[in-house]
Amino acid sequence: MYSQKRALILGDGAAGTILANKLRFLTNKNELEIVVIGNSKKHYFKPDGVQIPFGLLDYRKSVKNSEFLFNAGVKYIQDEVVRIDVDQRFVTVKSGKSYSYDYLAIATGDRLTPEDVPGYEGEAKHFYNLQAALSLKEDLAKFNGGDIVIGQASPEIQCPPAPYEFTFLLDHYFRKRGIRNKINIHYTYPLNRVFTMPQVAVFVDKLFQERGIITHTMFNVETVDPKNKVVNSLEGESVKYDMLILVPPHRGQKVITDSGLAGESGYIDVDRHKLNYGKYDDVFVIGDATNLPVSKAGAAAHFQSGYLSHHIASEVGGAVYEDDYNGECACYTITGVNEAISLWFSYEKNAKANFKSKLDYIFKWTSADTYFSGMVRGIM
Amino acid sequence: MAEEVKPTKVIDARGSFCPGPLMELIKGYKQAKVGDVISLYSSDNGTKVDAPAWIKKSGNELIGVYDRDGYVEIVLKKVR
Repeated sequence: MYSQKRALILGDGAAGTILANKLRFLTNKNELEIVVIGNSKKHYFKPDGVQIPFGLLDYRKSVKNSEFLFNAGVKYIQDEVVRIDVDQRFVTVKSGKSYSYDYLAIATGDRLTPEDVPGYEGEAKHFYNLQAALSLKEDLAKFNGGDIVIGQASPEIQCPPAPYEFTFLLDHYFRKRGIRNKINIHYTYPLNRVFTMPQVAVFVDKLFQERGIITHTMFNVETVDPKNKVVNSLEGESVKYDMLILVPPHRGQKVITDSGLAGESGYIDVDRHKLNYGKYDDVFVIGDATNLPVSKAGAAAHFQSGYLSHHIASEVGGAVYEDDYNGECACYTITGVNEAISLWFSYEKNAKANFKSKLDYIFKWTSADTYFSGMVRGIM
Repeated sequence: MAEEVKPTKVIDARGSFCPGPLMELIKGYKQAKVGDVISLYSSDNGTKVDAPAWIKKSGNELIGVYDRDGYVEIVLKKVR
């Protein structure tokens, strides 16, 4: 005789979907009901965003209907979460219904907030959602000379390597068009090097120098001045542009702040090894919704989902899962067409980049297929 | 000195390589108010050089750099 418990997962992006599907493999349906609440309708494979503006892949393979990505035995409810009450243990959705839970996994991700940088909206371009990436493709096709500035508008973004990946592809794109000598590519970065991981930064910087990329380090975007076509940093530097490509600032979801789970940033503080929220051993947070000191990327969410699915499944089965999440993350990052580097890191292990390879590029180029056929299904 | 100045905000970035301690500091700085005192904990030795350099360039006040047990503490005051 089983006493069925309920795992309620908020969010139908990478973290929530992978967690639900992995958990279904690990638990008996009579032991655990798995309910996912999300309202994205379409599931977009975000890493493809750096390649789409250059027409390097067919964007249609980067998008699937969310409802088709859940394994049998996972209940998927398309609705918007409007309140999370961790003391009374229930969640309310926009349609008015409320759901109780035995285990709550918050995987609500984060959102782009261009309004946080004065002058950004209507002026800066980006590639951080499908619509923006496709629009940027048209803008680049019309660009024939001048200064392009590329960077990030806030210190924390999804996928920290994306700006340097995009910069390498930008260089390749204009060389292929035969107009690279008419274009200055400026790369800005918040730290005093071109990437957060020192050894990777040395590797990337060397390639930047070989390819004539102009770098502006310790550049934290403060304002954009559309009238004078200048982007200003809080450190007091200004860079002129003809085209400005800036990853927008991010914040956690509004429902997180409204529910008192986080401050204005919207990112939730969680135990970095157990992934639970505060004193609540039945509330977990994974993916971009967390304030963890790890990369905000589907690759990190994948590892976190793997850890959490085993943790919850063990508890459901009456056992104690003693392993810790150790901040592990692995990804492929592009350094040009037909070349990429792989990064593998954790809380205690810094990533290194020693060589670029075509094989890593192929892994990156095909990663949407790998993701949709195996990873998101909880198989990998 | 750090014992005399009570931080308004503590950023514990020990064991953080990505996004990294300095990125955590800048993120915390942007969310802080002028006058706040921010304390950064980092287990990455490079932070001892990186963080003071950024604090200086950004025009803020470096209160101190302190070696603790297995990590470094950097304290700054947000003045702009």
